[in-house]
Amino acid sequence: MLNRSSRGLFVVGLVLLATAGLTGCAEIQKAAEGAARSSGNERLAKTIHGGGTLIGGLLPIGYEEEQTIGQAIALQVVARYGGVYDQPDLTRYVNLVGRSVALTCDRADIEYRFAILNHDSINAFAAPAGYIFVTRGLLKTIKNEAELAAVLGHEIGHVTQKHILDVIQRSKQIAGVAEAGLAYANKNPDAFKNVIDGAVKKLLDEGLDQGKELESDRVGVIFASRVGYDPTAYETFLDRLRTLKGDDRAFFKTHPDFSNRLSTVRSTISEQKLKTTGILLADRFTRSSNGAL
Amino acid sequence: MNHRHAFLAILVFMVTAMTDAAFGETLYVSAKSAQLRSGKTSLDPVVASLKIGETLEVVKRDDRWVQVKTAKGVTGWIYSGNVSESKPAGGDNELAALGKGFRRTEASGVTASAGARGLDKASESYANRVGITQQHRDAVDRMTANKIPDEDIQTFLKAGRLGEYAE
Repeated sequence: MLNRSSRGLFVVGLVLLATAGLTGCAEIQKAAEGAARSSGNERLAKTIHGGGTLIGGLLPIGYEEEQTIGQAIALQVVARYGGVYDQPDLTRYVNLVGRSVALTCDRADIEYRFAILNHDSINAFAAPAGYIFVTRGLLKTIKNEAELAAVLGHEIGHVTQKHILDVIQRSKQIAGVAEAGLAYANKNPDAFKNVIDGAVKKLLDEGLDQGKELESDRVGVIFASRVGYDPTAYETFLDRLRTLKGDDRAFFKTHPDFSNRLSTVRSTISEQKLKTTGILLADRFTRSSNGAL
Repeated sequence: MNHRHAFLAILVFMVTAMTDAAFGETLYVSAKSAQLRSGKTSLDPVVASLKIGETLEVVKRDDRWVQVKTAKGVTGWIYSGNVSESKPAGGDNELAALGKGFRRTEASGVTASAGARGLDKASESYANRVGITQQHRDAVDRMTANKIPDEDIQTFLKAGRLGEYAE
């Protein structure tokens, strides 16, 4: 004889099997929950309901949610960094370089958008779903298009590797807020605000882990090289930034030691056999930024 | 007889190793869109337009170009920067899609289309809570809506002799 709980599980199992081949996860969960309830096992129904929500909270964040998160973080980046620099031609140029690099990156099927922040500091940020920012100060330190392509490649790398989403996912798990799931954004704006505030703090104040920055350096130089830009341009750029150390504390606080970064880039170029093409396009960069910075 | 077979096997192995042929190797289109051309320069006519994720069978490799056969049987050359050995992950991977499925039961209408013009409903609500100015909201709105046609990017690549337009 089966006890009440076992009978409930048996019925739920049958329903799951019958539904699995035909419907999505949410429907399966709903069907199992309904079966448990109609068999009189309210406790089991609640467990299935909670389990589904928990699993949903633990599984990776989907692209729709990523877009919502990316846009909310982008709002904070723009607000904290003095707004967007109103130079349509230069913005279009940065977008053309960035989108050329994104065209053959490892996550080429999503939209990437680039904007210039009206700020003198030297920095760049990537929010989920392809919202990418460079400061006016950073553009001033760049000497050619190949350097810009590598910098944007680094930021695209944060998006392809889902670095911020990983931070959010971990913080959700540590805080045990799987129940609050990001999809509750409209119903539960406080939970959504906490998630975004935490991500913004990590992105703008604390900086990502060294490992994530180095990973972005590695994939960024590969992405730029795929389009044909000379990968050694990134080495030159990082070396130039190293000499500026101390002038911009915010940037150096949120990015790893430059000798680590340089050795990562050098070993990537060598291991991946990236071609030294000599394509720097310094003239096009100067022409496009002339008088605008 | 056995010696003859062994000799033939070694001969076949050597011929295979010495040629550029990479029979049976599969690649995927990794660029958002890509052109398959009749020759290995950007000046050669386009024989097919390919989409991200399409499967290609490698016929031959030559420096920056790969000769491939599409699932529809069209053979041509594609720029090596436009292909990858692994299938592009896409906007959602399988696990993310599964997570979305589980969450959907209580998430109806929560996330609007951030890809469309206008701020997402949740972002707008967030902006209200933290006091983001209208000017900054408009900036992100414009950024979201900003589109550059693929043709413009191709023209840009061509002018810079980048990608498949490299000499």
